[in-house]
Amino acid sequence: MARHFLYLTNSRLVSMMTQGRRIVGRREFAVTASAAAELERHLQGYADVPVHLLTDLAEEDFRLDTVPHVGSRDREAIVARKLAQMFRNTPFRHAEVQGRESEGRRDDRVLYTAITNPEVLRPWLEVIEKLRVPLAGIYSAAVFSSVMLEELDLLFAHTLLVTFTPGGAMRQTYFRDREIKFSRLTPIDPEEGQSLGTLISEETTRTWQYLDSLRHFAEDDRLEVCVMLHARDRVIVQPALRDFAQIQHRILDMEQVAAKLGLRPAPLSSTAEEVFVHLYLMRPAANHFASPEIRRFETLRRARSALRRAAAVLVAAGVAWGGWNMSRAFETTEQDQRVAQQISTANQEYDQITRALPSFGVGGSTMRDSVSFYNAAIRGFPRITDFAVLLSQVLERHPEVRLDQIAWQATDDPKSTPALTRSPPATDVPVKAITAADTAPTRGAEAAAAAAPFSNGRYEVALVEATVREPTNDFRDALETVTRLAGEIATLPGTTADVVESPLDVSSSVAIQGRHGRSDPATMQLRFVLRVTRDHGGGA
Amino acid sequence: MNQVFSPEGWKSLRASWLLLVGAALAGSAIVYGSHWYGIKEKRDSASSERLLHEARARLDNARRERDSLNESADVFRTLVERGLLQREQRLDLVELVNALRTRHQLASLDYDIAPQRTLPLAGGRVFPSIDVLASRVTIKARALHEGDLLGFIADLTQSRQGFYPVDRCTMRRIEGDPDDLRPHVEAACTLEWITLKDKHANRPG
Repeated sequence: MARHFLYLTNSRLVSMMTQGRRIVGRREFAVTASAAAELERHLQGYADVPVHLLTDLAEEDFRLDTVPHVGSRDREAIVARKLAQMFRNTPFRHAEVQGRESEGRRDDRVLYTAITNPEVLRPWLEVIEKLRVPLAGIYSAAVFSSVMLEELDLLFAHTLLVTFTPGGAMRQTYFRDREIKFSRLTPIDPEEGQSLGTLISEETTRTWQYLDSLRHFAEDDRLEVCVMLHARDRVIVQPALRDFAQIQHRILDMEQVAAKLGLRPAPLSSTAEEVFVHLYLMRPAANHFASPEIRRFETLRRARSALRRAAAVLVAAGVAWGGWNMSRAFETTEQDQRVAQQISTANQEYDQITRALPSFGVGGSTMRDSVSFYNAAIRGFPRITDFAVLLSQVLERHPEVRLDQIAWQATDDPKSTPALTRSPPATDVPVKAITAADTAPTRGAEAAAAAAPFSNGRYEVALVEATVREPTNDFRDALETVTRLAGEIATLPGTTADVVESPLDVSSSVAIQGRHGRSDPATMQLRFVLRVTRDHGGGA
Repeated sequence: MNQVFSPEGWKSLRASWLLLVGAALAGSAIVYGSHWYGIKEKRDSASSERLLHEARARLDNARRERDSLNESADVFRTLVERGLLQREQRLDLVELVNALRTRHQLASLDYDIAPQRTLPLAGGRVFPSIDVLASRVTIKARALHEGDLLGFIADLTQSRQGFYPVDRCTMRRIEGDPDDLRPHVEAACTLEWITLKDKHANRPG
């Protein structure tokens, strides 16, 4: 960032342009009647660069005082009021609270300073105002010089910093415990036969005497006089400096100072303006003398800069946020592309599968339904031929039994009974039971069969009508034979067999009729009916 | 700060304020636009995910159907070959019955074929793609030996043309001299002649 420093003394105005921490341009004006016009022409090229005005003037006054230690707002009011009372004729005034007294009420120590003659600043400020140059501040070089002590590690109890200003003046600034207490500017105007070294020595001695008269020193105190000199002047000055018990001189070699502070190139003379500018660039200070009104263009410049930065930040934030959104959107887009690829792959596979499906000229659902119906209703549907074969295998072991009739049906209801028309007896039987079946044939629901739902054929139900040949009147053996036959049939897998009509019903609920003649035949045919149920389990 | 908001300040900083407002609008527009684009992409992505889900579901169904149909293909081929999906060929049945009668030397054979109807299934089951049709066939036959009758029934039910599940059958011995050359056994059976109709096929019933 470019800055423009104006270092004003009573006879010179030095313009220094800086870029970053380097002084990149310098121009010096003699303080004459035409200097303001020259400065105006000079400033026109830097109207937008903020100006820092450092003053090193003889008209700068310093006063010390204490104020009661109160709150910051009250203290500001007190200090402002005192400042106005002390320097009522100038707007260029400044106060610094330096610390607190160690004794008594422990009041606050305050340094008041002001440029007592505002006219020395007026022509320059008029140029600045006219050109609307942003004035960042007006600084007291003396007050600011405390920074130099800190940066150069001049940490003494009593320090007198001696610097030289452009235009031939010597600034003596006294610091006690690094707090500025006094400063004076003396023209370098040696008398005849008086060297610069002698002049400096006499002036510093005079200053010591003055400070001592103000009781700044105790008996054992020593004033460290630090004189900043270019090497060229050092050889002239140093021999003339005499140290005493109360005064100790230290030469601050300009090149060493510049090296320590990083000031390149080092100043070519003993004047301190470039050192002060460099120190300011290192440790910017707050404005000392300039009022807000004078600084308004700088205020507006800062506001303008802040607004532009804010605008840039907003755009950058928007771009960053938008970029983040877009990056996520692009991620989504890439994901979409992957998904689209997956969809395409799935569709291709689907098409391949669809093309490869066996169709037989019908849809898959038709095929599936057809097979489902076949598996459920037809494939395992029982067949009477299978039933007859099984039954025959059992009957072969009973030659005394003759099969007369089978009424068979496939059904889902194990309790249903097929229709059976009773056969006439083959031979006359001397003893028989009279039941309702003798008067009415066993009838199923033949008519309803056609309208009934087509069964899955889980069960086969059959009425098996047969006769058993036994010796006449051996009913007990006939009963045993039929019971045994039913038992053998029931051993077939999933099969049950019950005697529905016995060769002779001996239950008490029916009547028995006996008719014997003189002679009975040797054998008799006894009719019986078995009900056989075969479960195919879970439906075919 | 008062100088910034003074008339002179407003005048001096007007361009900067406008720049700030413009930057805020531009930043907001960028953010909103990118956000809108992101939302749109997300919506499209959700749509794509849904499409992918549907495509995968369709593919899984196709795979299952393929596996199912591959398992069913052989069975279905048999069904097609036996004419299950064809219309009734009643003349074929008549010829088949007559042929079997001759083969098994039946003494007499009476049969009735009822009009075709939609066959009611157990449990009221229906199939979405096929109609199950059936004609009820009643057969009465006489033979010298029950083996002839059973053979006739077995051949009819195991015919390579059509499905004829016999659901009721009564076989009875006819009394008489076993040595007489006349029928000794008679049978009365009912069966369903079943055919299927593809509901999707635009063919007359």
